[in-house]
Amino acid sequence: MTAIEPQAIQDRRLGWRRAKVRQVIVETSRVKSLLLDVAGWPGHLPGQHVDVRLTDKDGYQAQRSYSIASPAEESWVALTVERVENGEVSPYLVDEIRMDDQFELRGPIGGYFVWTAAMGGPLCLIAAGSGIAPLMAMLRHRDRQSAGVPSVLLYSARSIEDAIYGKELAAMARRDPDLRVVGALTRQQPEGWTGYRRRVDKSMLADACFPAARTPRIYVCGPTPFVEDVSSFLEELGHNASMIKTERFGPSGGPA
Amino acid sequence: MTDDDFALVLDGNAAAGALREVFAADITTAEIQCDTCGGTGAVGGLRYYAAPMGVVLRCTNCAAILLRAVRTPHGRWLEMRGAHCMRLAQD
Repeated sequence: MTAIEPQAIQDRRLGWRRAKVRQVIVETSRVKSLLLDVAGWPGHLPGQHVDVRLTDKDGYQAQRSYSIASPAEESWVALTVERVENGEVSPYLVDEIRMDDQFELRGPIGGYFVWTAAMGGPLCLIAAGSGIAPLMAMLRHRDRQSAGVPSVLLYSARSIEDAIYGKELAAMARRDPDLRVVGALTRQQPEGWTGYRRRVDKSMLADACFPAARTPRIYVCGPTPFVEDVSSFLEELGHNASMIKTERFGPSGGPA
Repeated sequence: MTDDDFALVLDGNAAAGALREVFAADITTAEIQCDTCGGTGAVGGLRYYAAPMGVVLRCTNCAAILLRAVRTPHGRWLEMRGAHCMRLAQD
C-alpha cells in the first residue's frame, strides 16, 4: 500500500516535465489511453489533471488539460484522450503519437476534484463519455486499496462501443460486492442490454445513487450541459451542493 | 458585452495550472468569501471563465468577480477586489 501525502504533492513547484509514451491503448474508435513515463513525476491524487503542451517546429504552442486516469499507486501516468475534430492537441495525441514519442506536461494539478480511500464514502461517481477518466483514477485507487467503501458508478455513453474501460469496470464490479456499476446507453443498445436506455435524468439518479440522507461524496464529470443537468437534479433530490464536485469539459474535449 | 462573452465556462479546479503560475501552492481547495454576497466557496468549485487573457473566477452564488489573473507582455496581474478574504487549509 502506498501512502499518499497530499500536502507534499501540492507544494512542489509546477514546472514543465518531459513525458515519454510507454504504451498506447486503443479504448474506442475515438479514444486512446497513453501510458507515460514522466521525468521526476512526484505522484498524484485520484482526480487530478495535467496540462499538456505541444510545440510545433515554428515555436507555436498549444495547451490543453487532461485528467489522469491511472491510480495513485502507479509510477507511470495514464491519460485517456478523446479525439475532438479540428482540435489542436487531441488529434495529435490520438492519431499521430507512437511509443517512445515525447511531449511536455505539467502536474499533477488541482486538489479540489480529488477522492482518496481515506476520505471514505459512500462514493457516487457520475460520468458521461470520456468524463469517466478522472473517476476511473478514483475507482482504480479504490480497487487497489480494497477499502470496501460503498460506491456506485453511473456511466452514460452513446453506445457500448463508445463506453471506455468497459471490461475493466465489469471485472471490478464482479469481484467487489461494494461497487455497483450502472450503465446508460443513450443512442444504441446491444441485444440483451439490461441497463438504462436514456440520458441520465432525475429518476435515474434517485434510483442509482445513494439517498441524500447517507451524505455520499459525489463527483460528476462530462460535457458542460450534462454536468449542469446532473448537479441540479442532485440538488433537487436533496444532496447538499458542498458534497457535489464537478468537472466540466470545454469543447476542447479535455477536462480539465 | 462583457469580457466573459467569448470565454469558456468551466470549474475553478480547471484553472489550477494557470493559478499555480501566480500562487506558490494549489489554491483550489482554499475558500474565498465573496465581498458582494458574503457567500463562501472553495476555489475549485467557483465558476471559471477561461478567457484568452487569463483566469476570471466568479462567485457561484451571485456571479460577482472574485479573482482575475491576467498575463500580459508587461507581467502577470492578480486582482481580487471582489473577494473579502481567502482561507487556505492548514499545512
